[in-house]
Amino acid sequence: MSEITSAEYKKVAVDSIADPVLQSALESLQSRLGPATQNLYQNLPEGQELRKTAHGYRRKAIDNLDILLEALADNVEKNGGTVHFAATDKEAVDICLNIARDHDVKKVVKGKSMVTEEIGLNHALEEAGIDVAETDLGEFIIQLADEKPTHIVAPAIHKTRQQVGKLFSEKLGTPYTEDPPTLTFDARKALREKFLTADMGITGCNLACAETGHITTVSNEGNIRMSTTLPKVHVAFMGMERIVANLEEQQSILRLMSMGAAGQQIGGYVSYIGGPAAENHCDGPQAFHLIIVDNGRSKILADEEFREMLCCIRCGACLNVCPVYGKIGGQAYGSAYSGPVGAVVTPLLFGVNNAADLCTGETLCGACRQACPLEINLPRMLLALRAKLSEGDAKWGVQPKGKSEKLMFEAWQKIIKRRKVYDLFLKIGYVLQKILPAQDGMIRRLPFPFNGWTNNRNLKPLAAKTFMQRWKEREGGKQ
Amino acid sequence: MPGRTEFIQTIGKALGRGAGNAGDADIFTTTASLEQEALLARIKTRSAAERKQLRGVIEQVAGPLHIDFHPEDNLDDIAGAIGRLILEKDPEWGTEKSVVRWDHPLLSRLHLESLAELDGVTLHTTDCVSGGQGAKVSAAAQRSAIRENVEASFIGITSADYLAAATATLVMRSRPGHARSASLVPSIHIVVIEEEKLLANLEELYTLLKWDPEEQAQGLTNCLSLISGPSKTGDIELVMVHGAHGPRELHLFIVKGEAP
Ligand code: SF4
Repeated sequence: MSEITSAEYKKVAVDSIADPVLQSALESLQSRLGPATQNLYQNLPEGQELRKTAHGYRRKAIDNLDILLEALADNVEKNGGTVHFAATDKEAVDICLNIARDHDVKKVVKGKSMVTEEIGLNHALEEAGIDVAETDLGEFIIQLADEKPTHIVAPAIHKTRQQVGKLFSEKLGTPYTEDPPTLTFDARKALREKFLTADMGITGCNLACAETGHITTVSNEGNIRMSTTLPKVHVAFMGMERIVANLEEQQSILRLMSMGAAGQQIGGYVSYIGGPAAENHCDGPQAFHLIIVDNGRSKILADEEFREMLCCIRCGACLNVCPVYGKIGGQAYGSAYSGPVGAVVTPLLFGVNNAADLCTGETLCGACRQACPLEINLPRMLLALRAKLSEGDAKWGVQPKGKSEKLMFEAWQKIIKRRKVYDLFLKIGYVLQKILPAQDGMIRRLPFPFNGWTNNRNLKPLAAKTFMQRWKEREGGKQ
Repeated sequence: MPGRTEFIQTIGKALGRGAGNAGDADIFTTTASLEQEALLARIKTRSAAERKQLRGVIEQVAGPLHIDFHPEDNLDDIAGAIGRLILEKDPEWGTEKSVVRWDHPLLSRLHLESLAELDGVTLHTTDCVSGGQGAKVSAAAQRSAIRENVEASFIGITSADYLAAATATLVMRSRPGHARSASLVPSIHIVVIEEEKLLANLEELYTLLKWDPEEQAQGLTNCLSLISGPSKTGDIELVMVHGAHGPRELHLFIVKGEAP
């Protein structure tokens, strides 16, 4: 139902690196949010330990997911809401379309939600003749521009104020301006109209609380409160893993999430929603539907190696420090999930081979794990995915990459295991390298099949003597 | 609920449920820890001096959060200050000056309607919705009247259940007479809250919500909102702008506790 374009990773990455406007946007994002988040972690009243503790909470919730989801569903139903379970993207979309039909819905306002991007909801609603307005300012901008989000939390980070100005004057008919406050006001005005006339609000769920039977939504703009207060129907989508057991656990995680997402102590608006408005209340929706989505998550759950990924709360902190994301931007990742989190989640949800470049593109430097509020071990999982790509894996349906690379590494392994053979190899290499094109003492091009190495970089030539030779000579001289 | 059984079974299978793997029995906490008990006791026995200190904390964090903290601390002065705000500020969407407030005892005690200077201003209250058999107007009609008033108002005045000082977080539950939209749709949100409602931080708040018997009895209701500052966005080049969709301004008044 949803399409991913991860196969174009390399091409888009090359274009993005060559785009100076995007480069400066990414730099400004990373130089501001990365350090702000670190600073908050360092000043946590509970100490950095809280991050490990919170990881434990999440992991325990995932290990008890069946129990928690049952409790959540029972509690929401008790509060007067309706809970739906969708095994696939198609089921989730159909459930929503049915609700829309039952309530004769013509206009929808949406809060930012990754899972609805994942299942391609907007497209389906539009096909059904329903007007869908994204209301998060960043999402609104990219919806107008007909583009895809390039950051989990700041979806329009790749757009300059000039581009937004031009877009608004074309699509909203407002006078051109490059002043962010004026642009924000133009969007505020256009969207207020939408909020006041919409008959359905659709949101995601940041983290549900099983024991009370509430979903939570977090935003700074207030668009999610609008979407969950004004329309007569509220539909919330929730990836099945976005849940914790208790209020006290949720308190720590929501705070950590706000730190990771926006360098804040706590998001500006946090709402707990448990059901439709009570009969004697002044306002709020008359109907509340919660759609819990699997869509490939149970497969991740079943694999001990990747279960940790379900602890992720989609805060985007890993994007704000990743050296690869910082250069290639979000578009190259080719799905709703970009950056390090996308490099693990996209292959797992949409097929490892389809998104092979994503997991090989990351550097394994470990910055994402350090930045993650829950210290999720993304590098470990990237490595595990790479192993599957190299060896193949029946359970995940992974076709191994061409045999040649494997054969080459096996040969290499044989060479380096035998000192004499290795020395001989180096000697031959030292002589042969002289015929390669060089510049400033660097080799510029390697012959096929190694030419990929030198496409974008020069290589240092082999030295006349190996380190071991020089070491021996030195030690020998001393004695 | 079609699909529920299968859905849960799939998860159970993925988790390898079966003999010896039934899940953690202690997943839901049912008794407060000693620290939580101690924290509850500390909240309940907080002295006036300590509350004054919390007021000081809010004064400090308000600025960076773009909250307008006002020094007035008794009902008369607060009413006067709110009156001045209503007169000074301009409506964002039109020229008529309407103000909406919760049906709340503390706000009623401000007697805003008796302020002479507010003669040209319409004051709405989000009354309880009664509906039901024998009611003069249906609940739906009452709700749509409230909605109309809220949309027409440029200022919304509410109170709050609690205010957590460290992050200046206001806690509001949905209740009869307490419209959720009053703190959201008008361009300016004014909050009046008693000093007794101050808490130190979110940890205190959550401990209270979770373990205090009175709070447990009330529950979170179907909509509990935590509000820390006015609406804001950084979605265009990370430039911070206040007033994305919700209120552009948040004004805060704290009523001083009775002298002991
Ligand atoms: S992996 Fe960690 S940092 Fe990245 S989005 Fe998930 S929770 Fe946030």
